[in-house]
Order: sequence, then structure tokens, then C-alpha cells
Amino acid sequence: MTALRIAVGFKVTPDYEALRPADWARAATGHSAHGEAVRYVRRVFNVFDEAALELALRLRDARAERGLETSLVAFSVAGREADPFLVTLQALGYEGARVEPDADLDFAPAATAELVAAATRRLGGEVLLLGSRCGPGDTGLVPFLAAEALGRPNLPGVTAVEPAADRLRVTFSAGDRALRATITPPCVLAVGNALVSMLRVPTLKDRLAVRDSVITTLTPEDLGVDVPAALSREPSALVGLETIDRSRAGVVVGGATPGEEARALYEEHLRARLERI
Amino acid sequence: MAGGTPRIALVLDATGAAAERHARALGGFLRDGLRLSPEHPADAVTHLFYAEESARERLLALAPTRPVRLVRAPPHRPDLMAAALAAFAAGGGADLFVFGGPLGAELAARLAARSGGGVLTGVLDAVAAAGALSCRRHVSSHHLIGRFELRARPWCVTLDADWLDVGFEPPAEHAVQTSAELHEDDFSAPRLCDDVEVLEPPATSDLEAAQFLVVAGRGAAGRAGVERIAAAADRMGAAFGVTRPVVMNAWAAPDRQIGVSGTRTAPAVCIVAGASGAPAFLWGVERAGFIVAVETDEHSAIASEADAVVLDDAVAVLEALADIVAREHP
Amino acid sequence: MPLSREAIVEGLRRIVGPDAVVTDEKVLVESSVDNFRKLQNIFDVHTMPVPAAVALPADTAQVARVLTWANDNGVNVIPRTGATATEGGLESAVPDSVILDGSAMNEIVKVDPYNMQATCQCGVPLQALEDRAREHGLTTGHSPQSKPVAHMGGLVATRSIGQFSTLYGGIEDMVVGLEAVFPGGEVCRIKNVPRRAAGPDIRHIVIGNEGALCFITEVTVKLFPYFPENNVFLGWTLKDMGLGFEVLRDVMVNGYKPSVARVYDPGDAGIHFSHFAAPDDCVLLFMAEGAAGIAKATADGIQAIVDQHPECTQVPSEYIETWFNDLCWDASKIIAEDERIRQTRNVNRTTEISADWSSINEIYQAAKQRIIDEIPDITMMGGHSSHSYINGTNMYFNYFFNVVGVGPEEETEKYYLPIIGIICEETLKRGGSIVHHHGMGKARAPWVKDEYGSSYFMLETLKRSFDPNGVMNKGTIIPL
Repeated sequence: MTALRIAVGFKVTPDYEALRPADWARAATGHSAHGEAVRYVRRVFNVFDEAALELALRLRDARAERGLETSLVAFSVAGREADPFLVTLQALGYEGARVEPDADLDFAPAATAELVAAATRRLGGEVLLLGSRCGPGDTGLVPFLAAEALGRPNLPGVTAVEPAADRLRVTFSAGDRALRATITPPCVLAVGNALVSMLRVPTLKDRLAVRDSVITTLTPEDLGVDVPAALSREPSALVGLETIDRSRAGVVVGGATPGEEARALYEEHLRARLERI
Repeated sequence: MAGGTPRIALVLDATGAAAERHARALGGFLRDGLRLSPEHPADAVTHLFYAEESARERLLALAPTRPVRLVRAPPHRPDLMAAALAAFAAGGGADLFVFGGPLGAELAARLAARSGGGVLTGVLDAVAAAGALSCRRHVSSHHLIGRFELRARPWCVTLDADWLDVGFEPPAEHAVQTSAELHEDDFSAPRLCDDVEVLEPPATSDLEAAQFLVVAGRGAAGRAGVERIAAAADRMGAAFGVTRPVVMNAWAAPDRQIGVSGTRTAPAVCIVAGASGAPAFLWGVERAGFIVAVETDEHSAIASEADAVVLDDAVAVLEALADIVAREHP
Repeated sequence: MPLSREAIVEGLRRIVGPDAVVTDEKVLVESSVDNFRKLQNIFDVHTMPVPAAVALPADTAQVARVLTWANDNGVNVIPRTGATATEGGLESAVPDSVILDGSAMNEIVKVDPYNMQATCQCGVPLQALEDRAREHGLTTGHSPQSKPVAHMGGLVATRSIGQFSTLYGGIEDMVVGLEAVFPGGEVCRIKNVPRRAAGPDIRHIVIGNEGALCFITEVTVKLFPYFPENNVFLGWTLKDMGLGFEVLRDVMVNGYKPSVARVYDPGDAGIHFSHFAAPDDCVLLFMAEGAAGIAKATADGIQAIVDQHPECTQVPSEYIETWFNDLCWDASKIIAEDERIRQTRNVNRTTEISADWSSINEIYQAAKQRIIDEIPDITMMGGHSSHSYINGTNMYFNYFFNVVGVGPEEETEKYYLPIIGIICEETLKRGGSIVHHHGMGKARAPWVKDEYGSSYFMLETLKRSFDPNGVMNKGTIIPL
């Protein structure tokens, strides 16, 4: 049996949870303000992409136990902010690559998918693994659109992948239900809420061993993708942002006795809500 | 039909689970979430995909619009469904496709890609005007809402998960416009995968699944107080949980604990009785739709994290409330 | 003749009432450890002796009666409030201990803005006291990372220090007076005065006693004015850690008191600052706060000092401010970290020491190199200085390792204790202290005589005098 090449697409995002309401208020004033507001916060792996990266390593290990060879390449459509993450991935056994988009692809899933598909073709990857969705857009469209561009089937909400001879046995979810099926590469697997979701950590010695490894840097031109044209074809356009008011009113319910308070609470706040349940 | 009333196709993927919830979501969105500009009645047809012949009548009854186009499809075949919808769209069948069901996002994406239309997922609400469909949806990990426009038709959208809990009654009667069956050979779509196994869903605890929850805290002042609040919760048909100090005092069992070391909940209504609102606990209830705090200390953290506050003794208020709720909602 | 578990439970019930005595197995097992055995907790593995009960006294009188009874019957008592200890101070080292938990004593007794003091019982969460102070436009100035969860009793018992200590001081600078109960049942109140010279400062017998001498029931701490609108953040990258220490020294020696003054080595900087620091960069950062004139003068002074070092490259202050705003523990972070450890078996530990300016860089370099050379499976080895004084600073070693080939219960033996040993050796060799602020606990107790030298006589005498029957937190500070 031949070696299997797995490409994992990942994105590094701002750590949204580290921002405060004041930062979000600034971000909501517009697309470029959004970029400014998240500019200073640390970067982290998108959680679903991180799960994809670890699942690919586990698949490699499982295939190795069966005497099957696997090669792994991790790539990101990103600038230099992805480099520290690519270095870590190299220490874990991935080849590392980056496609510099030279344009803001934040809310452009179709253009992103085009680059992802082109990168997969160029770097090789009978299996393309990537997270099912990613901020800031969180549309979940990139895996489907990339699969469409590559002419491949896609399985969504993937939570586990095991070798099955020269095929793959994949556990995935379609909405509320979990399913398991056997699929033949080439395919796209979009990783959802996997129980295994965190990337193993390379030792200092692992890092030393790949100290001289090079990160492949590609441009859209190298991949034959015209990004401005792709952006002009983007099926949706962001026209504005709003904050979400999550503060709770803290309305004090009046009454002279517990009985009166309970009655007021029920009539003013609970009746309609309980009826809906 | 550029410039006229958009024709709407509600695509209900009933080949998987929870068809009723998805059908209600589509109906509720059509009724409350979609505005047509200029205003006039929606011209909408349900495309209902189903897998088992034996389920046909039951699923037909769920369809959110009176006119229905039935399509029988083999299960787990979004490739065939997408191809069928692409053929329909190519014939100018609809301007707006709203997808509901487990395969909704995939169908929306593939249809848009094949037909050159616009696509957006997780829509909260939308306005359909001649030039564009304007939608609002969550972005940035649910920290913001983005306003988007789709211009090229057909517009393909899926709904935000909040729509799944809306109340909606389907029409009493339906008119089946067409009835079709998809076969392997109809389209040149490659076989997706085989040997499909449906897995048992993991058990969720009553606390995780609860829509109405009562939580007792240290303010219950003892095992007896906790038990009285638990009894009140039971009479109201609410699930019952406790905070960590209650467990640490052995006034309730650890499996009732809510918060960081216990269970995270997302009820529609949550009553927090006698708990001051430590961050580790609040995390366990912060996703609740509506939070009521019953507390004697107006400075407590829970008072500013609740929608409504009753400043009185937890046991007394809960028992009085249980009397009312048990009577009004038997 | 030691009491049986049943007799211990019965004895406690008679004092605090049955409702305040917890004997639930799950609670007791959880109460047998603190964060020192973090990895075991996460994998639900339990190796320490299980306490006989957790007792929650309602007031000082009950505390006194419990301690008297324990003293008379030879029962080991472990004082506890917020349970955020990291060095084994809360571990039950002997079977059938009693956890004496002060979290039911959670009243804020008085907030006195005119005299700039607040008094609270031991079970008050620091965050609650801080929130109350903020209502008056004031702050406690105390902000350890555990602030959202820690309680006042424990914070005083461990000589804790917060993120803003360079301006406000450690807990020892904030405590005014207190009340503590000793094993013989003596309830001692130290009154609240700004300063006195009426003999030795006996507060220091209590502050930092880690429950080995007494149980703290109430504390009074200073309050400070709060001017968050004047905060100024400053940050630089540089290549040489030694230069980083030099700059910190310059700032302190010239009399500036920024609330935050830190230098991170490249390993530790990589964790927090890889979005603006290169892999071989150290990060130097400061926060100046206070009244407008003070904050500005502090920031300007620091800027002038660093400007003299062209090897330091300034970064936009927004990077530092954003990082700083996200520093404290919160519920989601704790859950996420636990899950990460469970899945990856990659563990993060810390050890903090202090030394004078001449020694600190050598200690840092020597310990770091030895750990990299001698300990297997290290994935990150680094650290930062975060609390500076005119005469020296601390070093907060921060390190990660994969737990390989052993179960969670062997992690301390294979990795953690050997690393602590290296750090303690390199520190003691050069005259530093092996514990800056986490407390000796039980983890570093084996080095107590090396740490104290001839002054061990004073520590030992305190222990023998105040706890002659050895019932207070056996194994803490002074090993078994």
C-alpha cells in the first residue's frame, strides 16, 4: 500500500476570550476597527483546527502501527503570525507551509476556500483535514466550498478518524446524530467537537532536531489564484458590525411578603417564559 | 424574476433526526425572522427530503408551508440532494433557499457554489429587497453581530441555532405539488461513503438538558432548607441543582453540583436561590435564557448577573412560587 | 491512644453541630490535597491519607473549641479557606486529619474609608473585599492570580503577594491587625494601629505561618486610592536577560515604584508574547499607576532609564495593556487548562525564589541549564522576574514537561521534585531564598534547615512554643 499524504489546513486567530467589552465596542465600529481591536491580543490555534492537527497525528501513529506510511503537511493562509505555530508543528513531524494572501480574507470564506483548495493541490494531500469553522466569520463554509472546488466528498463534524486498510473509518456528525462511515480518499474531513481536541507538545529536543527546517512560503500567484478577482466574486459582503448586550437587567421584584414577591415574579417575568417551555 | 417578490424555498432535510425542530425553525423564521421589502405575503414552498417511505405522512404533516414538494432520497446522500436542488435552481425555481436540518449547511454551500448564488449560515434575521438579502448573524466567536448582504441569486441561507426553540404550528393541511425520488444513477455524483453506522447519542444529565432549573446555594441555611427548595423545584417541574458550598457541607449529593467542578447548564429559565454568585458557579448558569436571583444580600455578585432579583429568604420565596406554578401549570 | 475516625467526627459534631461537619467520601478525598497534586486531581488519582472530616466553624469561639479539643486529643488540624494553595500546605500528611475550613466565616465586618482600613473574617473572598473597596473608589492593592477564588485567611497565612506588589507591597505590608486562635484555645487579637515599637512585631508570627502555628479568624488590611484611569503601560523586547535584570535594578534603585515591573526570558515570553516577540526575545514590561502626577513621573522616569539602552526595542503599549487585562484566573481558564493537561499529559509547574541583584541572573542561568540537561521530557523551561525591591528581585521559574511512562501519581517523583531540588540547590548556593511567595508548604519543607541556617532555632522555638503537641498542619514548613 502506498503512503498517504494528509494536508491539514489551520488558522491562527486572536484569542477572542481575552478581549473585554470595551474592546468589542471598538471592534464593532467597522471592519477595519475590528482588525485594530484584535491586533494586540495574543494568537492561538483555532480550536477546531487544533483538533484536526492532533487527529492527523493520531491517524499517522495508528497507520504506523499497521506498517502504513503517512506524510503530513500543515499549512495556513496567513502572514508571519503563523510562524511560531508552524515551528511547533514541524517539531511534531509536519512539513510546514504558508500562503501569504496579501489581502484581508477575514470575512471571505469563498476566496479562502479557493486558496485552501489550491494549496491542497500544490502541497499534495489526498486527505484534507481542517476545522469545521473559524473566526471571525464562523460561517463553517470553507470546508464545504473547498470540497466543492476540489471535486471531493466532504464529511462534516468529524470527531475521529481511524485507518481501514487503504480507506478511512470516520466518525462524524450530521446535526444531532453521530454516524460512522468508511470513505475513500481523496476527501475533505471537517473536524467538529472532537473529544481529542488538543495538540500534543514537542519537547525541547524535538524542537532542536528541526531547528534548521524551512517553512515553505507560497503566494496566491504561485497557486494560480487571483485574490482580488476572488474577493469580487465573494458571495456575501460584510456591511456592518454590532455589539451584543449581554448585561442582565437586575430588575428588583417588589412585594411586602414572600408570597407577594412570588406572585409578582411569576406574573411579571415567568408566566410567559414557562408557557413556552 | 429580478425585482419582483422573491420566491422562497424552505428546504427541510428530514432524512436525519429532529425533523420537527428543524421544521419549526423554518416556519418560525418565515413568520418572524424574514421581512420582505416592500411588504407582502411570502410565496413559499417547502422542499421536504425524506428517507423512509414509512415516515412520509408523519413528516409531511410537519411541513411549515401548505405547498410541499416531496423528495425521497437515500440517507446520508447530500451529494444527490445538492444535485437535485441545483437542477431546480437552474430552472429558476426560487430566489431564496432557506435550509433546515442536519445537512442544511452543506446543501446551502454546494448549491450556492454550483449556481453562483450567495450563501450565509447561522442567520438571525433577514430582509429580502429587490437588490439584496440583508442578514444578521453572530461573528467573532459570538462576541459580535455582523450585518451581511447577499446580492447574486439564488440566496442560500441556514438559520442560527436559536431558531430551533421557537414555537410554531405547521398548517393543518398540505398540498403536495410534486413527489420525486432520487436514485444513484440520476446524477453523476460519486458515492460519498459506505458502511454507515448510526451511533448511540451520549446520555445527557437531567441538569444539562433542563429547560427550567432551580439552584440552591448556601443561603438555604442547612440540609432541611436545601430539601425544601428541592421539593419546591419538583412541584414546579424544574430540575434541581446546588452550588459547591452546599455539596461541601454535605447538604446535597455531588451529582447535583452546578459550576466549574460540576455541570454546565443552559436552561431557558434558571432560579438561583440563596447563592451569592461566585464566578465558578456563575459559569455553570451563565448560558441561561433568564436568570432570577433570590438573595438577601443586594451587594452579592448574583444580583448584578440576574435578570430579576427578589431580595428575600430563598426557602420562603421558592415555596410560595411553587404554590403558584403548580397551580397554573399542572 | 489516637482517636478513631468516628470519635473525631463525633467530637467535631459536638462543637460545630452536625450540619457543619462533612464526612462525604468524595469531599474528603478532594480535601486531602491541594494544587501541588494538581495532576493527580485531574486524573482522579488519590494517594494521600483521607481526612476524617471537614469542619466549618461558624465563629471564633467554635474555632477555639475545635483547636482545644484537637490539641487535647492529638488530632492533626489543617486550617483552610479558599483552597488555592500550590505547595502541599493543605495536604493531609497523616491519616485522620481534620480540615478546619473557615469559609463559613465570610463576613466583611467593616470598611473604613476614612482610616483607609477594611476588616473581614477569614472566609471572605479577596474578590468580594476588592469589589466592596471599589464601591468606595478604593482598592486593596492585592491582586494575586488567584484573586477570583482565594480567601483572606489563606492569603495572610501564606504571605501571599500580588501583581501590583512593587507599588503596594506584599500582604505583610497590607495587614494592619488580626485575630488568630492558637492550639491551646487562646484567642489573640492584635489591634489596628499604623505602627508601633512596643516590642517585636508579633503580626509576623501569624503572617506566613501556613497554619502551622495558629488559625487566622479575622484580618484588617489597608485600603488605597484607586486611579485606573491613570495607568500607563510600557514594554520592550531585548535579547539579553542579564540586561533585563539590570534595567529592573536601575528602576528600583532610582526610587521608582511602578505597580508592575517584569522581565520575561525567551521561553516564558514565547507563551505570552509570541505575537510580537521573536523566539529569542526577552520582554521587559512595566505598569505605572496612582495619582496622575505620580503615574506620569513613574512612567517618564522608567522611559528615560530604558532609553539609555539601545538594545531595548519599544513595543506599542497596547500589547502590554491587552495582555495584562487577561491575567487573572477565571472559571473557564481553569477548566480549559485541566482539559488540556488531561489530553496532552503536558504539565505546567512553577517555582519562585528570590535573591539579591548580584546573584539573580546566575541562579536563573544555572538552574535553567541544569534542568534542561538533567530532566527528561522538558517542553519549555523559562521564567520571569515579577517582584522587585531596592535590594533584589524574585525569579519565577515557569516550566512544562510531558509526563511519559509513569502515572500521574509518579509525576512529582520523576519530574517535579527533582526540578524543585535543582532550583533550591542553585539558589541556596548563592545565598538566595528558596520561596518567594507561594509558601513553604510541604513541598519545600525538606530544605527548611538549609533555608534558615542558624536562625532555624527561632523557627523551631516558635513551633514548639505555640504548638507543643504538634497538632497544627503536620509536615508544613517543618517536615515530618
